[in-house]
Amino acid sequence: MSEEPGVSPLTIDKVTHYLHAGYHARSWGEVEVPPALGDARWTSDLILATWYMGETGRVPEGRFEYRVGASGGGFDRLAFKTLPAAERRAADAPVDLSLPLNRRGSGRELTLELPFYGGGMSYGSVSEHILLARAMAAHRAGTLTSTGEGGYPPSLARYRDRVITQVATGLFGVEERTIQYAPMVEFKYAQGAKPGLGGHLLGSKTTTAVSRMRGSVPWVSLFSPFPFHSVYSVEDHKKHVDWILTVNPEALVSVKVSTPVDVDMVAIGSYYAGAHVVHLDGSFGGTGAAPEIAKKNIAMPIELAVPKVHKHLIKEGIRDHLTLIASGGIRTAHDVAKAIALGADGAVIATSELVAMGCTRCSNCERGRGCPFGLTTTDPELQEWVTPEWGAERLGNLYRAFSRQLAELLRELGLATIRELRGRTDLLRYLPEAPS
Amino acid sequence: MQMPRVQSLRDGEARPAAAPTPAPLRPAADEEGEVNAGPHAVPPPGPRYRRYHIDTADTPDLLRLPHRFRVEVRRWRLARLLLTEVGRYFGRWDTVLNRPCVYGVFGGPVGGFKPRQELCVGCLRCTVQHPDVVRIVRNPERRRLGDSYLTPERVETILYEAKAGNLPVRGQGYRGRFGGTGFDGMWTDMSEIVRPTRDGIHGRETISTVVELGGACDHLEFAPDGALLTPQPPAATLELPLLLDLPPDSLAASALPAIWARAAGELGTLAVLPLAGVLAAGLAGPAVMPLVAPAEVAALAALPAPPRALALAGWDRDAFRALTEGYPEAVVAVRLPFAAGWQATLLAAVAAGASTFHLEADYHGRGADGEFVLDLLLAAHRLLLAEGLRDRVTLIGSGGIVAAEHVPKAILAGLDAVALDTPLLAALQAFPEGEARDRAGARFGLPPGLGPEWAVQRVKNLAAAWRDQLLEILGAMGLREVRRLRGELGRAMFQAELEAEAFGDVEGFAPRGAER
Repeated sequence: MSEEPGVSPLTIDKVTHYLHAGYHARSWGEVEVPPALGDARWTSDLILATWYMGETGRVPEGRFEYRVGASGGGFDRLAFKTLPAAERRAADAPVDLSLPLNRRGSGRELTLELPFYGGGMSYGSVSEHILLARAMAAHRAGTLTSTGEGGYPPSLARYRDRVITQVATGLFGVEERTIQYAPMVEFKYAQGAKPGLGGHLLGSKTTTAVSRMRGSVPWVSLFSPFPFHSVYSVEDHKKHVDWILTVNPEALVSVKVSTPVDVDMVAIGSYYAGAHVVHLDGSFGGTGAAPEIAKKNIAMPIELAVPKVHKHLIKEGIRDHLTLIASGGIRTAHDVAKAIALGADGAVIATSELVAMGCTRCSNCERGRGCPFGLTTTDPELQEWVTPEWGAERLGNLYRAFSRQLAELLRELGLATIRELRGRTDLLRYLPEAPS
Repeated sequence: MQMPRVQSLRDGEARPAAAPTPAPLRPAADEEGEVNAGPHAVPPPGPRYRRYHIDTADTPDLLRLPHRFRVEVRRWRLARLLLTEVGRYFGRWDTVLNRPCVYGVFGGPVGGFKPRQELCVGCLRCTVQHPDVVRIVRNPERRRLGDSYLTPERVETILYEAKAGNLPVRGQGYRGRFGGTGFDGMWTDMSEIVRPTRDGIHGRETISTVVELGGACDHLEFAPDGALLTPQPPAATLELPLLLDLPPDSLAASALPAIWARAAGELGTLAVLPLAGVLAAGLAGPAVMPLVAPAEVAALAALPAPPRALALAGWDRDAFRALTEGYPEAVVAVRLPFAAGWQATLLAAVAAGASTFHLEADYHGRGADGEFVLDLLLAAHRLLLAEGLRDRVTLIGSGGIVAAEHVPKAILAGLDAVALDTPLLAALQAFPEGEARDRAGARFGLPPGLGPEWAVQRVKNLAAAWRDQLLEILGAMGLREVRRLRGELGRAMFQAELEAEAFGDVEGFAPRGAER
C-alpha cells in the first residue's frame, strides 16, 4: 500500500465490524429494507441481493428479486424460456462457462473460466485496496480485471496475468513495462456513462500517490481528453494496435467503445484494425462521476447495441473471428446471460462488484472526501473500510453466485456451454410492462 | 443556407450591407479572452474575438425548502450505543468519537441527538452501520415542489442548476427508467473519434451556440464588383438558442417581466413579453421581443425605438403585413399554438411571407389534440422539409421543455431555438400551485423577498447550466455549432426504432408505435 492509514487500527476494527454486521443484517432480512435505498435500475432488492451474494456466494432465494430491476425496459423486460423440468439437464450435469478471447486464429490463446470480467476503474477513482481486491479475485476465479486509466500500482504486478492494462486518451500511467505485463491491453476510446466527453478526476482525489502514478501534479484536477488526439480513422487506430503489439507481441487487444448510431460500423473498423475484442460500453452503466445529462441521453443502452452489432458482424462474415463483450448496465448474472443471448460472447461487470463490497449507489462518489463506504475514494481514512482481502472474498463470492446462476440457467435451457447461448434470441421472451 | 459562424465574432464583424446591425448586447468593456494576441500585444485593428461567457455566481435559495432526507434517530438506543462504546474503547476517544457520517450530519454539538438533517446526502452509511439506531427516509414534503409534468425531481435539478450554474454531475450510472415516452424515448448520438475542434481539452470549448432568428435566402446574387445584390431579410442574432418566454398570466403584473428583460439582455438573447406590459413598465430595448395581438399593432408606435424583434400572437395576415411594413428591420415571429389545423396555418403564413414562427404547446408539452410536443415539432419540421421550405424558416418552440436535455432534443427534432417558460419560474423557487397546465390558468407562488439582482442571477445561472449541458451533447456528437444540430435526425436515436431492430425477433415483443 502506498499511503499510511489515516486512522487507528482500533477505529478500523470498530467501523468495519459495524459495516459488515450491517451488510449482513440488511441482506439477511434481519432488519427492514432501508426505505431510501435503491432506484429503478438498481432496486433495493438488487442491492441487498448482491450484498447477500457477496457474503455467501449464493442467491437469496425467495427473499429478494435478484434477477431484474424495475426500469421497465431492456433486460428488465426480457426473460428466458426455460424448458419444462423433465427436459432440463440434470442438476449435476457439467456446464462450460469458459470464454475464449482470441478468435482471430493466430497469436496467444487466452480463455477465461467465466464469461465475464471486471471493468476499468482507475487508481484515483477507487482506492488501491479496491484495485488489489479485484485483482486478487480475478486471479482466484480465473478471469480478468482492468486497471482503468490511472496507472498500475506496483502491488498489482503480482497478479499481472489477470490484469488488463488500459490505455486511454490521457495515457495516464501508461508505461512500456505495464503494457508488457498485460495479457490483454484495452484501448478505451469512449465510455458509456459519458460517451464522447473524456474523463475528469477531481483535484481532491488526486493525492500525492495518485499523481505520482499518473505522472501529474498533486491536488490538481486531471482531464482525460476526448478522443485520442492521434486517431481520426480506422488506419490511425490500426497504428495504435500495432504500437501495442510492438511493445507486447503476446498481448491481445481489446477496443472499448461507446454505442453511437453507427456502433456496428465501429465494431467492423475495430476488427479490421486488428482488435481481438470489441467491448461495447452501453450508456446506463459507469462507476465514476459523469454529467447526468450524458448518462441518460447520450448513446444507446447496451441491450439495443449488442444485437445490432452481432447481426452486422454475421452479415459481414466475421462474427466468429471477433469476441464481442457487453458492458454498461450489466447488473446481474441474468443480465450477463441475456446479453449473451442477444449476441455478445461475454460481459464486463463493475458496478455490481462495488455493490458486492458495500456500495449503496448513493452517487456521492465525487462529493467531499469520496465514498463513505471506502470504495470510490482515495481518502486515507475512508479507504481503510475495505481491506483487499475482505474485498477479494466478497468478489469471489459474487463470482461464485453468478457462476452458479449461469450454470443453472444453461441446464434449464438444455445447453452445455455458454457459447451455445450466443445470439439465441429464440430462447428469450419479451415481458409485458409491469403496472407502475 | 446556413453560413458557418464564429460565436465570438464581434467588433468589426463583416456583414452584408443590407443586413441590420444588431445593437451590441454587451458593453465593449466586458470583452475579454481575446485570442491570437500575446500577453503584451496591442489589440490589432479589425475583427476582435471574444469567447461568449455567462457570468455565474453562487445564489442561494431564498426559500428554505424541506430537506431531501429525514434522519430519524432513536435517542435511547443512541445513548446506549455511546455508553457501550465508551466502555469498550475507554481512553481511545478518536475511536469512540468516530461518527458514521462524513458529511457532518452528526457533527453538531450534541451529535446524533440533534442531527443536522440539511447535510444528509442519503449515502445511508449510518443506517447500514447502525440499523437499530438510525433510519433515513426520503422527505415526502419534497413532493409538493412540482406537478405531474414539472415533477419534483425536475424542479430539484433546476434548483441545483439555478443556484450556481453548475451542471449536475453524480457518481455511479444512470438511475432512471429505460427510455420512456416523449423526450425520454430519444437518445442522442456520439462520435468515437470526431470532436468539434482540435482546440482545447475536449474540443467543446469553442463550440458556438449562436442562432439567428429570421428568414434566409435560397441563394445570393452578386454584382460584378462583388457587391451583394440580394436583399437580406432582417435577422436577430442570439448568443444561445434559449429565449425567455412570457410569464403565466397570473404573474403578468409581477416583477418577472422586468427580470426577464434584464436577464435576456445580460445573456444576449430575447425576452418575449406582452406589449402592454412592455409599455407600462418601460421595458422596451434590444433584448425585448414584444408580443403583439393583431388589435395592438397601432400601440407599437408608443415604443421609444423600433424593436429588434416582434412576436405576433396568432396568424393574422393584415396584422403581419402592418408589422413587416411598419418595422422593416425587425424580425417578426408568428406565434402559433398547436391548435387544430396548425399545419395549414403554418403553410399559409409562410406563403404570405412569414419566416419566423414560435410554435407553442402547453406547459405539459401537449397540443390541442393531446399530441406531445416532440412529435409535433418533428411533424412541423418534416412538413416544411416536404414543402421545400425548411431552410427559409426559423422555428422557435415552447411548452414541455423543462430539463436541459430537452433543449438539444427539441433542436434535433427541428427547432432553431427554444423559449423557456416554467423552468424559469422553478429557478426562482416559484412552484406550481396545483397542476400548471397552461399559461392562462397556471398559478405559481413567488417567494417573498424576491429581488431583481437575485432573480436575474438565478436565470443566468440556469441558462449557463443548460448551455453547458448543450455543449456536452454537441461535444459528444462532434458538432461545432448548435445550428448544425437542427433537424439532424440521423444523429437521433428513437427507442421505438431501436427496440424494433433489437427485439423484433424476440417472442412477445410488440413495437411501440404510437407510444412515442
